[in-house]
Amino acid sequence: MQISLQQIVPTFIEEEKISQSQIWNSNVVFNIGEKIQIIAPSGSGKTSLIHFLYGLRKDFNGTIQYDNNSIKNFDAEAFAIYRQQYISIVFQDLRLFTEQTVLQNLDIKRQLNPYHAEGKIEAMAKRLGIENKLNKLCSTCSYGEQQRIAIIRALQQPFNFLLLDEPFSHLDESNRKKAMELMEEESAVRNASIILADLKAIEYFKADRTLDL
Amino acid sequence: MLSYKNIAPFLNTHQNKASRWLSYIGLGIGVLLLLCSVQMYININELLKTKSPKKNGFDFIAVTKTVTDENMVGDHSFSASDLAELKQQKAIEDISPLIGNKFIMKANGGTMLPFETDFFAEAIDNNFLDTLPPSFKWSPGDPTVPIIISSDYFEIYNTLFAPSRDLPQFSEKTMSSIFIQLDCWGANSVKDSYRANIVALSDRINTVLVPKEFLQWANKKYANVDAFNPSRIYIKTKDANNPELLNFLQQKNYHVNKDKTKFGRIKQILQAIVSGLAGFGVLVILLAMVLFSFYLQLMIAKSKENLQLLLTLGYSPKWLSKTVAKKWIPVYIIVILSAVAVTALLHFGFQHFVMKDKEELSPFINWIVIVIAMALLFLSIAVNYRLVKKLLNKL
Repeated sequence: MQISLQQIVPTFIEEEKISQSQIWNSNVVFNIGEKIQIIAPSGSGKTSLIHFLYGLRKDFNGTIQYDNNSIKNFDAEAFAIYRQQYISIVFQDLRLFTEQTVLQNLDIKRQLNPYHAEGKIEAMAKRLGIENKLNKLCSTCSYGEQQRIAIIRALQQPFNFLLLDEPFSHLDESNRKKAMELMEEESAVRNASIILADLKAIEYFKADRTLDL
Repeated sequence: MLSYKNIAPFLNTHQNKASRWLSYIGLGIGVLLLLCSVQMYININELLKTKSPKKNGFDFIAVTKTVTDENMVGDHSFSASDLAELKQQKAIEDISPLIGNKFIMKANGGTMLPFETDFFAEAIDNNFLDTLPPSFKWSPGDPTVPIIISSDYFEIYNTLFAPSRDLPQFSEKTMSSIFIQLDCWGANSVKDSYRANIVALSDRINTVLVPKEFLQWANKKYANVDAFNPSRIYIKTKDANNPELLNFLQQKNYHVNKDKTKFGRIKQILQAIVSGLAGFGVLVILLAMVLFSFYLQLMIAKSKENLQLLLTLGYSPKWLSKTVAKKWIPVYIIVILSAVAVTALLHFGFQHFVMKDKEELSPFINWIVIVIAMALLFLSIAVNYRLVKKLLNKL
């Protein structure tokens, strides 16, 4: 699978931000198996880009294609299929179900299209240090714990592309490394691509390509 | 396999329980009203069917020329032109004259029943009869004459004649096994005797009927009369209460037996009342569905964020619609089947305790009632699904 961007420009962005960008108003192709780092200072449209790629927003000019299909023509059902099988995401604002438990949050994603057996959730939770939180309400967890929950959730399904929008902002160094390792392992197993957008370069993310937004 | 169970914790279904239960109760009451009304409509039809003059949508009424003080002496029969004029009326589909015996007839019970009485008989076209058993025919040489009498006369025999003379009463089933002797007197006191038995009862023709072939032959043999003008005719009309028809008959000074038309009227009124109840039932059902749709809208609005997030995470909108809508199917099934069960119970109670197991009524509810219930079930499920789909598409 391939994600290609052709001259995409958000409808709301300032001119100067476009000229300096390697992504806006350019032709960019992401192939599976690639590790791409997107460095995006604040206000450059990083979250917008991730939302465009995931199909959450359409306020851009230009074309984004999944393989040769323009996603502007996709309906909700078509996106559902891609989100179940091909594209996973960690949102910057996490988007968890705060009134449900951690386990319910993880399971509701896993049940949709399980890649792992049930027990893998506990193993991942243990690896990222949140195994004691599984039966607690999400709202009682710290932001850092919630970030780890969002990461584990993204790894419960098959995917060709893993979109990450500032996934480590509230994690300490040790947890960042553990989370990155986990995600790289899971991507390698799936021969998937990681697209990591952050404010600055992440040193332990061995990217094949780095693009400035 | 994903099911409603998986997403249940994420939906806010606990709010507004009261309006939800109210709509279930409303639906139940509305469906019950509608089904009971339909069953009652059918019951009225069945109960008033045998006595009603209508058959296949027509009324049959007897018409004679009015005998007044002034015209008492004279001919009160219908001439050929009278008959032609009647046939021309738009409100009259068909007419059939009643021909009567022109000779003396007597009947006696023979050895079985100790009675003797003067007798009379009439005949009419077969297609005007409401009941025509295959045995109702006669050809010269047959020693037995089949008779059809009106159910009113039969009742008069059973309730007045028989008790006053210590004669046995008969049921409709046993009456055809009783044979009487029919004596026909001709000129020069010539008498012929025939066996006769009652083969059917008529609710339409108020007389004693014998096959037309017999009476025409007997009139010729015993009274030397061929054709003659009838004194009584039956007319077939779409509506006995048609004002045009009644005006015409009144103008011509023809007399109509109003009893039979009154009966039809009673049936009409009863059925109108029941139809009104059915209409009210439909209204209640509609209100219940509206109330339920409010509940659904509220539930989906309160669960909006969660539903949107489920869609963001990759849940299919179609699957969500189907799954949320399916949750209510068991409720609809229970409510409607309960209404059917209560209707069946009420109908059985009516048939058994009120109508005392009258034969015309089946103790079981009519298949139409069940079909309506199934249609309502299908409709409510379909409407519910479409509403959920519409609400989810808006998210």
